[in-house]
Amino acid sequence: MILLVSALGLASCNDQYLDLLPPSDLTEANFYKTANDMNSAVIGIYSSYQARIPRDWILLEMPSDELYPTGYHNFFGLTDLNSLAFLPDDQHFSDFWKKSYSGIYRANAVLKNIEIPTDYEATQKDQYTGEARFMRALFYFDLVRMFGGIPKVTSLFSVEESKSTPRASEAEIYALITDDLKAAIDMLPPKENMQKGRANKGAATALLVKVYVYLKDWKNAKTYLDKMPDFHYRLMDDFAALWTEQNEDNDEIIFAMKYTAETNGQPLTDDFLPYFGVTGISKHGQENGFPAWSLMKKYEKDDSRKAVTFTEYWKSPDSPEEEPAIWYPYVNKFAVPHTTPGSSGLDIPVLRYADLLLLKAEVLYNLNQPDQALTALNSVRERAFGNTDHDYALSDIPDAEAFYDKLLLERQLELAFENQRWFDLVRTGRYLTVLKQLETSYNPATQTPLVLHLDPKEFQKHFPIPQDQIDLNNPGVLEQNEGYK
Amino acid sequence: MPVKNLYLKIPWWITQVLLTVVVSAGAARAQTISGTVRSAEKKEPLSGVTIQVKGAANGTTTDMNGRYSLSGVKPSDSLSFSSVGFQKETVSVNGRTQLDISLSAEASSLDQLVVIGYGREKKSSLTAAISRVENDILDQIPTGRIENALAGRLAGVNISNTVSSPGATPIIRIRGLGSISASNNPLVVIDGFPGGSLANINMNDVASIEVLKDASSAAIYGSRGSGGVIIVTTKSGRTGKPKLSFNAFYGSANAIGHHDWITGQEFYDYQVRYKNRDFANAGGDVSLPVWGDDRRPATYQVNPVIKEGNTIWEDVLLNPAPIQNYHLSLSGGTENVRYYVSGGLKDEQGTLINTWYKTYSVRAKVDVKINNVVSAGFLINPEFSKRRTSPVTMEAIAKMPPFLSPKKNPDGTYPKPLDYWGTSVSAGVSPLAVLYGTHNISSTFNSLGEVYLDLNLLEGLKFRTSLDANIAYSTGENYQAASATTNSVSTGSSADTRNINLINENVLSYDKTFNGIHSLNAILGASYQKTTSRNAYLGVLPGSFNNDIIETLNNATISPTASGTSKSQWGLVSYFGRINYGFKDRYLVSASYRTDGSSRFGPRNRWGSFPSVSAAWRISQEDFFRNVPVISNLKIRASYGIAGNFNIGDFQYLGKISDTYYSPDGELTKGQAQSNFGNAELQWEKTKSTDLGIELGLFSDRLNFVFDYYDKRTYGLLYNVGIPAVSGFTSSLVNVGDIGNKGFELEINSVNLDGAFKWQTSFNLSHDKNKVLDLGGVDEVINTHSRGMSWLLRIGEPMFSYYGYKLIGVLQDQEDVDNSPVLPGSKPGNGKYEDVNGDGQITPDDKVILGNFQPSVFMGMVNNFSWKNFDLSIALQSSIGAKMYDLENLYYEGPTVCAMRLSLIENQWWSEAEPGDGKTPSTALSELAYVANSDYYIENASFLAVRNVNLGYTFPTALANRLHLNTFRVYLSASNLLMITSKDFHGYNPEGYTMGEVDGIGSMPGFNNGATPINRTFVFGVNVVF
Repeated sequence: MILLVSALGLASCNDQYLDLLPPSDLTEANFYKTANDMNSAVIGIYSSYQARIPRDWILLEMPSDELYPTGYHNFFGLTDLNSLAFLPDDQHFSDFWKKSYSGIYRANAVLKNIEIPTDYEATQKDQYTGEARFMRALFYFDLVRMFGGIPKVTSLFSVEESKSTPRASEAEIYALITDDLKAAIDMLPPKENMQKGRANKGAATALLVKVYVYLKDWKNAKTYLDKMPDFHYRLMDDFAALWTEQNEDNDEIIFAMKYTAETNGQPLTDDFLPYFGVTGISKHGQENGFPAWSLMKKYEKDDSRKAVTFTEYWKSPDSPEEEPAIWYPYVNKFAVPHTTPGSSGLDIPVLRYADLLLLKAEVLYNLNQPDQALTALNSVRERAFGNTDHDYALSDIPDAEAFYDKLLLERQLELAFENQRWFDLVRTGRYLTVLKQLETSYNPATQTPLVLHLDPKEFQKHFPIPQDQIDLNNPGVLEQNEGYK
Repeated sequence: MPVKNLYLKIPWWITQVLLTVVVSAGAARAQTISGTVRSAEKKEPLSGVTIQVKGAANGTTTDMNGRYSLSGVKPSDSLSFSSVGFQKETVSVNGRTQLDISLSAEASSLDQLVVIGYGREKKSSLTAAISRVENDILDQIPTGRIENALAGRLAGVNISNTVSSPGATPIIRIRGLGSISASNNPLVVIDGFPGGSLANINMNDVASIEVLKDASSAAIYGSRGSGGVIIVTTKSGRTGKPKLSFNAFYGSANAIGHHDWITGQEFYDYQVRYKNRDFANAGGDVSLPVWGDDRRPATYQVNPVIKEGNTIWEDVLLNPAPIQNYHLSLSGGTENVRYYVSGGLKDEQGTLINTWYKTYSVRAKVDVKINNVVSAGFLINPEFSKRRTSPVTMEAIAKMPPFLSPKKNPDGTYPKPLDYWGTSVSAGVSPLAVLYGTHNISSTFNSLGEVYLDLNLLEGLKFRTSLDANIAYSTGENYQAASATTNSVSTGSSADTRNINLINENVLSYDKTFNGIHSLNAILGASYQKTTSRNAYLGVLPGSFNNDIIETLNNATISPTASGTSKSQWGLVSYFGRINYGFKDRYLVSASYRTDGSSRFGPRNRWGSFPSVSAAWRISQEDFFRNVPVISNLKIRASYGIAGNFNIGDFQYLGKISDTYYSPDGELTKGQAQSNFGNAELQWEKTKSTDLGIELGLFSDRLNFVFDYYDKRTYGLLYNVGIPAVSGFTSSLVNVGDIGNKGFELEINSVNLDGAFKWQTSFNLSHDKNKVLDLGGVDEVINTHSRGMSWLLRIGEPMFSYYGYKLIGVLQDQEDVDNSPVLPGSKPGNGKYEDVNGDGQITPDDKVILGNFQPSVFMGMVNNFSWKNFDLSIALQSSIGAKMYDLENLYYEGPTVCAMRLSLIENQWWSEAEPGDGKTPSTALSELAYVANSDYYIENASFLAVRNVNLGYTFPTALANRLHLNTFRVYLSASNLLMITSKDFHGYNPEGYTMGEVDGIGSMPGFNNGATPINRTFVFGVNVVF
């Protein structure tokens, strides 16, 4: 009977069995309460971009004339992308979309909760707000360039809202981007006061310049270009030194994603290295993409960027000693020594000063200052060749077509594999001609490249909206891009 | 599959013993004994009664008048009288020559007690679908896990051994799969403790296993019953003389491997074909020399060194391995105290190098009757197990090429393929370096304990309260030497988990029959359960081990992102009741109700209710049926009930904040971000099921049929439904969607022969049709693997059906490519696919359903024979209709100059000159995108297996007695004696899936990428009872 009573007694304390809280996890109910929480949340935004960018090459380099898939590649669909067969159900479009919107969500979560903490010191609140808006702009800039108009999300959505938000126009997205970046410029501290790898006033200004270039708003671009000298960016003397871990926080880097080998490394380095690794660099590459002959053949002999960008002859690290090195070109730009495959410590630049100088050349040319445009363009060439012998003269650019030939060539040679080429070809419309034929591998014994004939189409300036995202929305909400319907 | 290596070695001394027995039986002073056998109830003579001299070979049967006569009987002998439907009697002769005897009707199998949730019931009174298996010889089946012993023995219960390595957990599915994101595992109740694990129990200690299959029987377990319930009842002591039992077996396992590996010149020739095909596809000129000519790029050259060497790696890696089991139990009791104590030891070595599983268990159970009112007891069952597993899947090591020698280099290292040829070959290290250089060892100490108190309050009214505790500590230690990895980077990790699961149950029960007509049985109960867990884990920075001598982590640098501790907890409060009523043992009704509250759901939806009703009509008990000949039992029954599923992990209803990492200033920094949508509305996933059953007994229940039809519908699925990424998340756990399972089961039990030679058969057949009924607003969800195969959830189709292109031929040449609908970029040798929508090209719209991993029918059959002192049991299992996505074949088709299997390559399209059989496309790594997304790698996984054969011999009692033994039996037991698979099946194990089964929306069930072979195991064993 005592037991019966005690059993009934237990009934009254159901709460001790049912009202439990997670002992090891914060929840939305107890987070976003302090300035420190907000700092963690801002780090979370960078974390999304940091996780996405190492694989941006799949969508931005594979369709371009810089890279082609190897026989070993372990991402399904690379061959389609390389041959400009953009399929709406290709997982890579969906992955890019998901990771970008996850970052946007994290930025929006910071902006929504920014008023809650009461323990901010000095400019902390402005800084976090500025960082969130900078990063949101960066995510949208990537998305709008790839997909065109996209859903504009600036608040935290319920499931139903997320299913019923149609695409905004490109103009609306660009308006959001420029608004965010202008606010970020106002709120962010200068780079000297910020940790490396986080947004700062200079980075926001430079990104806004780039955005205006994509909008062909040369005047506004010039306005912000003119502010750049305040931030003390410069070209480094040695191109090769840019691509080493020791030298990665240099004055040429405007904004980069930072990594630490082993604990927080990136897989990009290994994605391009031979499967059997490279002596002294990596024990095991992923060999997903090889440099295309279309790109390789453009480098002049004296160009210091050539040997940095790719390596032509390779000897398998574990091969018998007597075996000679063989013709096996691979992308070398991101090759730094690291122990754990897939976890390299080399930072990945998002925006560097050489890019900005070439954007400057473009802006100035379009504002009818061809001589100053050439100065900017030549400064990049001079660094590459170590002398002025390869400078262009005004006579080399009799018309806009000729100028853009030189500019895009330089952008390609300088920024190869930095996810710029596809955007450059698309925004200039040149993908329609340049990508008609792609030289992939090259046989030095027979001196013949393997040629791939392609048929780029006008509508391919935008990628398809990921089919799974269309399907997850309420019917008719998310419209597919022209050409993919 | 060819039956090779099929042999039975009978040790010479067994033959000797058998001879001795036969000879000694005949040497005695003989006499003749005769008499009549009658039934005890009606005093009618019984014909066909078997009379056997105990411990000897002679025996006879009674004639039509119940008379018998038996010669050659010694005065000291005992005679046993047995007949179907009657209790066996054993009588000492004591010098008599006339011996009449009457046999009483056996408490028929219908009066057998069946364990149900919180009670027992007579089999004849059941109104629900419950299967039962008793442990007669199940503990003699040479396997490390008890699930394997049950395979094929229970209708509606599909037990598959997806991972065939020592100690791996088999998958049990009862009446199909109903859940996508929550577990489909049944609830395991061990001696009343809900939530136990079959891993923690020794088969030798098991008395019987009941499976509650329909929701009406499972509903009493409420929120955990939707996957069915398995109730394990362990052995208890019985009043009487102490009994000491010993069961032991020892034997050897042999892996069942492939027999079509190629080596030497043949291997070289196929590699040349492979490279030439790739070269031609890349626009090369295949007439160029294959080696030493710069015009042929290095990638497409073939080094002649690969001709040398004839190593078949499968043979190196798989070796006969011993398995042994020892179990000793002591049981007995007086009127007031009963006890059962046992200890067991099992050691199963894997056929794959450096894999094993060892368990040590102790069990003690004491029941004490203190007075007429109070009884109490306890049980304690500590068990320790230790397991070493392979760090790699089978395909990664079996694929090693024949030119790679397994012999060590002079410096003590193992050669690797790159030592022979610097490019093109596999970058892996020797499998031996991997298996010897990796130490993945896990151990678990698990203790299940219970104390209870029973009170007899009034006649028929009882109260029982119990406290159960399951306490588990596990440790996992992993170390991999640099030499064991492709990257030459050492790694290590360690984890300790502690899990404490406490439950208090209080049940008031009432059981009484009024006026001999109305039988009433009712229970009312309350249960409180709480589980807390703690996990501590440590990882090291890769490559930071100072040397490869000390494997513990103090020899390395701890990684901050891979180390930490975490805790979790959950609680469950339940109230339940059940009432069973029977009128004249003919009309039976039962109803139950349970309400569960769980901490896993938000306060608003914390409580769920789970009702059930069932009824049965025993037609054969009706007066009008008394005179129906042949039919001895006929019952029809129907049930309906709702059971739940709460297996979603703890605190999923809350929006959790998780860690993220970034490296500002080059320093690892922890950030945070919300990782899932909170959903306060989250609630139980439920399954409602209807069951209709017929039980039929013929010829005095000599032939029994049980047929069940069921219709289950799981609704409000705990489902991670995809949501648009603009929400910030890709999925959200909600209650949406329905899955249906309809099917039937047939069990047949038959006594075929019942003379001196006895033969019993039990057969079961199950069919289940799984169907997605609702996906919460979308028609289908497609989940695609990086190699191209998709798994489809589509309304109206079985869940996770394979979805891809249908192969209809091979593109023979460029002209064929130009004139056929093809995937973009197709080349000669690629597959020709069915253009389903007829638009002249192959696009994702042409994908079709290509089968499913679930079998449509599975069967089991056990035949038991006995003759004199010999007994033989043969257990068969068969599964029909399941398909497997056997992507592992790819690794044996030549990529990276790896091992090749002739059956996979001989019919391929190699060139226009060697087009193969026209059905087998080229499968090179570079062509995988044109193959792996089709049904080419989907194979028929149907099989028929002789899962176990057990041949025993019981020594004559006289001889046993002379050795002071009560029983002495020896046996030979063989597992997987025969495994017959479809001709087009190439895997090692038709049940061997490597990507798990259904576990969330991203599941890829049926995916095989390196399952380990199953073993053919022979053991010799003894059963001794003192």
